[in-house]
Amino acid sequence: MKTLADLKKIREKAQEEMKLRDGKVRIKIVVGMGTSGIAMGARDVMKTFLEEISNRNLTDVLVTQTGEKGLSSMEPVVDVIEEGKPKVTYGNMTPEKARRVVVEHIVNGRVVSDYVVATGD
Amino acid sequence: MQDISLHLLDIIENSVRAGSRNIQIRIIKDTNANFLRIIVSDDGIGMDPMTLERAQDPFFTSKTEREKKVGLGIPLLKQNAELCNGSFKIRSEPGKGTVLTAEFQLDHIDRMPLGDLKETLLSAIVGHPEVNFSIILNSLDKDKEKSFHFETAPIKEELGDIPLTYPDVIKYLEQSINEGIQITNMEDV
Repeated sequence: MKTLADLKKIREKAQEEMKLRDGKVRIKIVVGMGTSGIAMGARDVMKTFLEEISNRNLTDVLVTQTGEKGLSSMEPVVDVIEEGKPKVTYGNMTPEKARRVVVEHIVNGRVVSDYVVATGD
Repeated sequence: MQDISLHLLDIIENSVRAGSRNIQIRIIKDTNANFLRIIVSDDGIGMDPMTLERAQDPFFTSKTEREKKVGLGIPLLKQNAELCNGSFKIRSEPGKGTVLTAEFQLDHIDRMPLGDLKETLLSAIVGHPEVNFSIILNSLDKDKEKSFHFETAPIKEELGDIPLTYPDVIKYLEQSINEGIQITNMEDV
């Protein structure tokens, strides 16, 4: 059984790491989780991002969810937001595409232009 | 939606969009009384009787309303529950919150599977760090009762400014939820 004591250890370790990089979140991933997004597989896309973050130990990446954004025909839709850079929106996402976005964009900093459906705000 | 867990995620997202700060998710599997019941209660803005009625009617939702309110998610869940001898209820009060209950006949041949409950719960919890989730799983089988209770508020308090998508935290949440699902035999429902 997991306990709060396990969490305390995680927190201490995470705080050490955060000190080394000024506690900043480098990149934010926002998965659209409206009704049509869910029906089109957004939960599996979310799952893939969480798996990749966990397996690759990406400690400076944040993932959240949002509702519909009027891009229903391109669901599942994912925004990647990096400080000081225009927002990149990926569409028609799948777990495979999400993995490629993690490797190329999140880790190596190259936008995967094949999947981009919008940029900027 | 292919399974109940995807409907559940959709309902949770409605609660989040209604500005809820606390969402309770309760799942009861009762083999004696032969039902599977899902209850989602929130402290969001709630709905007046007219909005509540429209939320359950697929033909009443125009596109502009769909953007600010609820879409097809609720009517589809209602239909799926009623198709397998179940029931569907929403109680709501403006300013107080909403309680949604969907019940399915457990052994009905047309009942969709519960699906990947772990992914729904994990996704909702980490995707909405601003919301406190309370998760209760109950299973009643003959005279055996098993239950699991999971609260995210104490976890977030312990973590302080460490995000829920921190790698080890994802693993922690995943393992905790998995344990609960196994304890209550909700894997292949």
